[in-house]
Amino acid sequence: MNPVPTLMAAPPAVPFVAASAVSKSYGGAQALRGASLSVLPGEVHGLVGANGAGKSTLIRILAGLTQPDTGEIAIEGRPVAIASPHAASGLGMSFIHQELAFVPDMTVLENIMLGLPKKTTRLGLVDWAAIQRDVAPIIERVGITAPLDAAAKSLSTAENWLISIARALVWKARLIVMDEPTASLSASECRKLFSIIRGLSASGVAVLYVSHRLDEILDLCGRVTVLRDGRSVAVLDGPGLTRRGLVQAIVGGAVEHLSKSRDTARGEVVLSVRGLRRLPRVTEASFDLHRGEVLGLGGLVGAGRSELARLLYGADRPDAGSMTIEGGPFAPRTPAGAVRAGLGLVPEERRTEGLLLGKSVAFNLSLGNLTPLLASPVLPFISLRKRARLAQATIRDLSIKASSTEQPVGRLSGGNQQKVVIGRWLRSKPEVLILDEPTRGVDIGARGEIHRLIRELAGHGMAVLVISSEPDELPDLCDRVLVMAEGRIVRELAGTDLTRSAIIEASYALTEERVPA
Amino acid sequence: MSDVSYTRRLSPSTRAALGVFARYGTIIGLLAMILVFSFLSPHAFPTFSNFINVLNQASLAMIIAGGLTMAVIVGELDLSVGYAASLHGVLVTGLIVANHLPIPVAVLIELALGALIGVVNGVIVTKLKVNSVIATLGVGTVLVGLSFAYSAGVPIVSGVPESFLQLALGRWLFGIPNPIIFMALVFGGLWLLVERTAIGQEIQAVGGNPAAARLAGINVDRIKILGFVLSGMCAALTGTLLAARLGSGTTNAADSYLLTAFAAVFLGSATLRDGEFHILGTLIGTLIIVLGFNGLNIFGAPTFSQFVFQGAILIVAVGLASLGRSLAES
Repeated sequence: MNPVPTLMAAPPAVPFVAASAVSKSYGGAQALRGASLSVLPGEVHGLVGANGAGKSTLIRILAGLTQPDTGEIAIEGRPVAIASPHAASGLGMSFIHQELAFVPDMTVLENIMLGLPKKTTRLGLVDWAAIQRDVAPIIERVGITAPLDAAAKSLSTAENWLISIARALVWKARLIVMDEPTASLSASECRKLFSIIRGLSASGVAVLYVSHRLDEILDLCGRVTVLRDGRSVAVLDGPGLTRRGLVQAIVGGAVEHLSKSRDTARGEVVLSVRGLRRLPRVTEASFDLHRGEVLGLGGLVGAGRSELARLLYGADRPDAGSMTIEGGPFAPRTPAGAVRAGLGLVPEERRTEGLLLGKSVAFNLSLGNLTPLLASPVLPFISLRKRARLAQATIRDLSIKASSTEQPVGRLSGGNQQKVVIGRWLRSKPEVLILDEPTRGVDIGARGEIHRLIRELAGHGMAVLVISSEPDELPDLCDRVLVMAEGRIVRELAGTDLTRSAIIEASYALTEERVPA
Repeated sequence: MSDVSYTRRLSPSTRAALGVFARYGTIIGLLAMILVFSFLSPHAFPTFSNFINVLNQASLAMIIAGGLTMAVIVGELDLSVGYAASLHGVLVTGLIVANHLPIPVAVLIELALGALIGVVNGVIVTKLKVNSVIATLGVGTVLVGLSFAYSAGVPIVSGVPESFLQLALGRWLFGIPNPIIFMALVFGGLWLLVERTAIGQEIQAVGGNPAAARLAGINVDRIKILGFVLSGMCAALTGTLLAARLGSGTTNAADSYLLTAFAAVFLGSATLRDGEFHILGTLIGTLIIVLGFNGLNIFGAPTFSQFVFQGAILIVAVGLASLGRSLAES
């Protein structure tokens, strides 16, 4: 029996940042109800919670993007008011948000130094040579390999993450807050990021790590704060920090397990794809999608899955290859053409590509499918009453948590926003529905509901294609999974072969085969 | 993340007060202006006949502003409306005086031409992907040239038939001047279109988030072109009515409507909604500007003050609109 952990025996350190009893409401919605969070100097602290639990609000408050209604924030024991992002960085905090902010046309070095005080020559000009010398050790530490004068837009998402981290280090941040950092990184990029985070921690820089991916949280974090319904319900550390403990704290009740009951009888081919190509990302893709099946498309980020989806959807046009839908030729030139031919899309970036955040739930649900709202078959006018009634029905069917059909969709949590995007296709019933990362940034509970919904749609005869970067997601959800690597479909998995490890293995397959060549 | 504005640092009560100001400020301003003018000039200003007169004067600017609203709702600017209206004024008088076309035919030709100019603007913006400011400024300048080419810069004055003048000077229903009736029809029609039709929903979606609209299967280019077409047709109607009112076709008669229309549209976006363009807002916006002019006229304010008033109100309007937006986002 290992008695008292040494950590607890040590005198309690003064937290670098401590937020206590913070409350915040937006209109009628109470986002935070007395939440507390303390991050010790140099620790990797996890922040988890279902969507709508208040994580983003808490971070926005720390970042000075919004002000708390009540509560106190202290930096190294001194109470502070964080009036603006500028003030937040002055206090030694640096934030790397989910959507990266950088100037695509500026160079790597310019982006690293963006908004930071710069050394100047005697003439008052920026002394890039001196800056480059100063920054070199940091570049090396975070492992940026791209040339400093390359344009930021030519870099991958992972490399842009490194730029953000370098910025924080140049600014000598004492705390770096990372919001879902691995959402768009590949496995090897994740490993690299983790080693950088450990290095930061060892050198005394604290990291607040916000993620839905519990494996990463368990792997990286010494302590984890769990938010639920705007309250901090648990701070787990040491032996108490387990996956089970986290899930229980997040959900606050029993976890429901999705059973994998499959009606394996699949219908005729709805969408047939032959030899589709658009270089450089899609080299060759051929497959059939059947009525009533959920087909998964897995693989690493950058394997060409989203690019393939864009071809199916008419957002891009292929260099070669052909498609048929319901046996007839299908060559959409625009998304509108694809929709007319019977496709529906739930895009990857729901906030920028899926929704009008300022418009109501009812407006967003009816987008692109307005015929059922017409007041009469002859006049072109729509009936707002019909719109509200249909929206009400969809809200009920999908159990979307919204205060009314007229609530702006931007005020909903991520999971509920996603249900609105899916709900849009519920009534127009396309032959084929493509969902790109349907549960990205969505909490466990909502994820289960979205999965159930997708199964239901397939059950009603829709052919569903799900693209996902999370190997965990596809085996639960799909009848069959195609794995893409380097622009090709490299494997088809079904039945008992369809496992998480098989997907991961296949994702790397092509790369390994190429090594000896 | 979203941009940072000073509104985020405000206390909730200040923010609420500012929110009221941003949404209702224009209406409060309109009422305040009416009160002040009525108080200062109790015999000339607050009379039914002055009100009808003001509305009659305002109608042409309102029609052009209503059209411009359609262009800005779909997320584009149309700087060609003033020049286009001038050209239509010259052409319509020419068609009637020189070509002896029946008035309804001439007017229909103008409306069709207005639609065509809208298509040209729309195609340049959506297919050639030219920024709408540049595209419509270019098209507008070409229109100025066409107008001079057609009339050699000489106003068409003689031989304008009385029946054409009646289009703008006549009265209908309870003696209401025709321009007010045209204006009411245009605004009623545009309001119904935007707020109550399926196409209107698509128009709002395209203006709100073109990427989402496109992926939802909306033909974004077509909707944008439609916005320009409606803008072009309203410019044609304004130009025609102005020629009828002036009794002549003059090459630069309607140019100044551009600024009035922009000020009205932006004032309108700051009215009732948080920096979102809409038809009802434009109606209120134009009223403010025209009533302001009328008040300045009644008190014999010098001409320069009207320009100062118009320029200042444009800036106030855009400021209010962006205040509304940042309050809505924070």
